[in-house]
Amino acid sequence: MSDDNLIERLETYLSNVMGIPDLEVANLSRIPGGASRETYRFRARYNRSGAEIERGLILRRDQTTSLIETERATEFRAYRAFHALGLPVPEPIALEEGSEILDRPFFVMEEIENCQVGSILSPDPYGPLREKIGRQFFANLGRIARADVDEVGLGDLEGERDPAKCWLHEVDRWEKVIDEDEREPQPIARAALRWLRRNPPPPAPKISVVHGDYRTGNFLYDTDGNMRAILDWEMAHLGNPLEDLGWAIDPLWSHGDPSRPAGTIPREEALSIWQKESGIKLDTAALAWWEIFASLKGLAIWISAAREYADGRNTDPVNAFSGWYCLAFHNKILADRLGGA
Amino acid sequence: MKPEADQILMFSGLKLAAEYAPQIPTQYGQGMAQVVAALMFMSAQEYDRAADIRASENVDMRALFKLLAPQIADADLRRDLEAAAASREESLRISSLNASNEHLRKILIRLHAHLDETGADTRPVWDVLKAMAARRTLTLPG
Repeated sequence: MSDDNLIERLETYLSNVMGIPDLEVANLSRIPGGASRETYRFRARYNRSGAEIERGLILRRDQTTSLIETERATEFRAYRAFHALGLPVPEPIALEEGSEILDRPFFVMEEIENCQVGSILSPDPYGPLREKIGRQFFANLGRIARADVDEVGLGDLEGERDPAKCWLHEVDRWEKVIDEDEREPQPIARAALRWLRRNPPPPAPKISVVHGDYRTGNFLYDTDGNMRAILDWEMAHLGNPLEDLGWAIDPLWSHGDPSRPAGTIPREEALSIWQKESGIKLDTAALAWWEIFASLKGLAIWISAAREYADGRNTDPVNAFSGWYCLAFHNKILADRLGGA
Repeated sequence: MKPEADQILMFSGLKLAAEYAPQIPTQYGQGMAQVVAALMFMSAQEYDRAADIRASENVDMRALFKLLAPQIADADLRRDLEAAAASREESLRISSLNASNEHLRKILIRLHAHLDETGADTRPVWDVLKAMAARRTLTLPG
């Protein structure tokens, strides 16, 4: 089945799940949205209680192949949990895990309109808004870390609940990805894996929901510098909240100035805000371990991207960029950090 | 050849990013065109340096193996280090240099793991790895 009648099929589906017989889908268009899901924006028009309603919605449909195998149900549940908690997260509307409706699994969520996303290709994506955005960025990450995993209904997410073992669970997870996907020997990644295993971090201060990809490019902000939506929860899992912090402050997302993580506020201010909002006292030695881990995790993701592209399974140019530029970047970071700059 | 391929890639990437991409009617198309332009800038850099990067890495790894082989007690590893140190490039084609590079990298990983396990000094290995990583870093237009 082709995408020719995607609109009609989406209309039928949403009419049923939303209980709105006259729902119309209009202006369906694909937008950039990561390599693991196809992302479309559209307008849903319907009549409710005599009022004409038009609402912007987003369709996230599985690719025919995916960079990192992720569960769309996990992503959908994370949106639901943190939207309910009051974080800037789009409202999830419907989840369809079968392939009968749109050929592949998908979910639909609210579109956060009139916003933009910071590109890692930009040397200064936020301009004068960077400090305001940065404070929200690290405060919201702290709020994710603070959330009780059972109270938000995500206590059964994939991951390790033993605070002493969650680091090992993640190292094993990403080593497996490298084992399966490397097309050429990766001496720096292998050295980093050995270092991480030889120098285990202290137990996690708590088990949190780890967003898994909290960074520049995965949130929306408006022209007033308000952070409006945290996106791409597809790698959410249970684990050490320092995993997300290490990833968020990784130099790859710093737009050329590592002293201002995420291209926003000074590092010490970012960490201070995170500590205050998370309620977690930061262990700097532990964070240093998770920063090394973040770059290794990056390498694993980029190695997968390179494999997808080089094998011709997913020739999205984002995979070529990730598998080349980002891989080279994280190899340099790890070599300098572990080998002494 | 004038113009060289790197100049063609660079100028074409600039045209794509600044002139053609904004005329694409969809946001998705514009975004992907910008990524393709970035890939063209990266390919332009790689055109001039690709053979040098691989040849230099292979020279560095062979020199490292020659330096450290006498200190290695593991007979299999020492033999492989000595053989790799004595190997030479068969051709300057990228595919040939890549084949040598991958073979040498496998031995480098074994050597580094062995030094880690025995608690030996790994600084010479890290020096080679740092040089390899630095050579392959890419710069994007600001």
